[in-house]
Amino acid sequence: MNTNFSRLIGVFALAALVQSAHAELKWEQTSVDLRPGFNDKQAVAHFKYENVGNTPVHFKSVHASCGCTTAQTQNEQVGPGQKGEITATFNIGGRTGTQVKTVTVQTDDPERSTIVLTLKAVITPLLEFQPALVYWQNGEEPKPKIITAKANKDAAIKKLDVASSTPDFTAKVDAGSAPNEFRISVQPRDTTKAVYATLTIKPDSPANTGNTFAVAARVMPPAPTSGTAITPSTKATVSTVRHDLATPAPTAGSPRQ
Amino acid sequence: MKVSAVRQALLLIALALVPAIGEAIYFRDKVSWQSPDRSSEMVNLDQAKSWGTNAIWVDARPDNEFEQDHVPGAIPLNEDRWNELLPTLLAQWSLEKKIIVYCSSQSCNASREVARRLRDEAGLKDVFVLRGGWEEWLKNRR
Repeated sequence: MNTNFSRLIGVFALAALVQSAHAELKWEQTSVDLRPGFNDKQAVAHFKYENVGNTPVHFKSVHASCGCTTAQTQNEQVGPGQKGEITATFNIGGRTGTQVKTVTVQTDDPERSTIVLTLKAVITPLLEFQPALVYWQNGEEPKPKIITAKANKDAAIKKLDVASSTPDFTAKVDAGSAPNEFRISVQPRDTTKAVYATLTIKPDSPANTGNTFAVAARVMPPAPTSGTAITPSTKATVSTVRHDLATPAPTAGSPRQ
Repeated sequence: MKVSAVRQALLLIALALVPAIGEAIYFRDKVSWQSPDRSSEMVNLDQAKSWGTNAIWVDARPDNEFEQDHVPGAIPLNEDRWNELLPTLLAQWSLEKKIIVYCSSQSCNASREVARRLRDEAGLKDVFVLRGGWEEWLKNRR
């Protein structure tokens, strides 16, 4: 009985010793929400930590979920009571909308060896276009097609300047149906030859630091010929196809207008 | 004794299943094992190859990976330089062509995101994501 009791005491003592000598990183937050401005190229999140244990913690690896994000630790080792942070830098590039990026941190803390830090960025660009491409079938009536430009409400954009890379298209800008919205009316001069143009759009806003945008307009090349010899039985089919191309459906060529 | 232990284990499993089922129903859209892929948007390598010249290959990986190697004839289009790169694709696209977007592997998300933007923002149809991505291409190239 005495032996058993001594063993029990020994186990408790060992457990208490193990418990008292521990490393523990306490994170201020493991998730950060950011709203970068429309001129920002990067969104930076700071994940602060403190070692509230009494032995050092070592970072084994810090790994971001995508190539667009880099993460850095201040120190490889965090001593007891020491504070620090992991900085995650997300390169916005041409991304829009809600972006969620994670940073996986591996430490030698046996209690919590893997920590996933989350950076959430809501990116509202200066301008959004719908659609980014308008096109006409070869031979289609050269009626104007509309690209809607939605401006960031914080940018106070008063007007848009649109320039076509070729003289084959003209573009006119009007106010849209909603505030901060513009209608870019694009029209080809001729739809009998295949042409492509980039329409460069420059917003006139005091907040804009020289950003320009591009959308595209195209007159498609003639439909490829199958190479099939025209026989009396196929002739009707071919003329039907030609008729269809000459009188496209009202929405054809300008999806999501 | 043995029967009692088995009975207790079964009881515990049954009790644990009740909240698990509830959670699975409540969070059915957020469960990590559910693939976000819509099968109609995915294409296998064999099928993609069978489209031949009727397809445009789009490389959604970062520039440095594209520069190292890529599917022959692929057009780079990543979100780092979306606005700069998109016009090149739009100039080559035509109605009858299918677009196959790929990124590094099955687990990467860049190809899905690029494909979504091509559909939603540019209004392109027949945009597919290559199942297995560049890894799958490499496996079959050897």
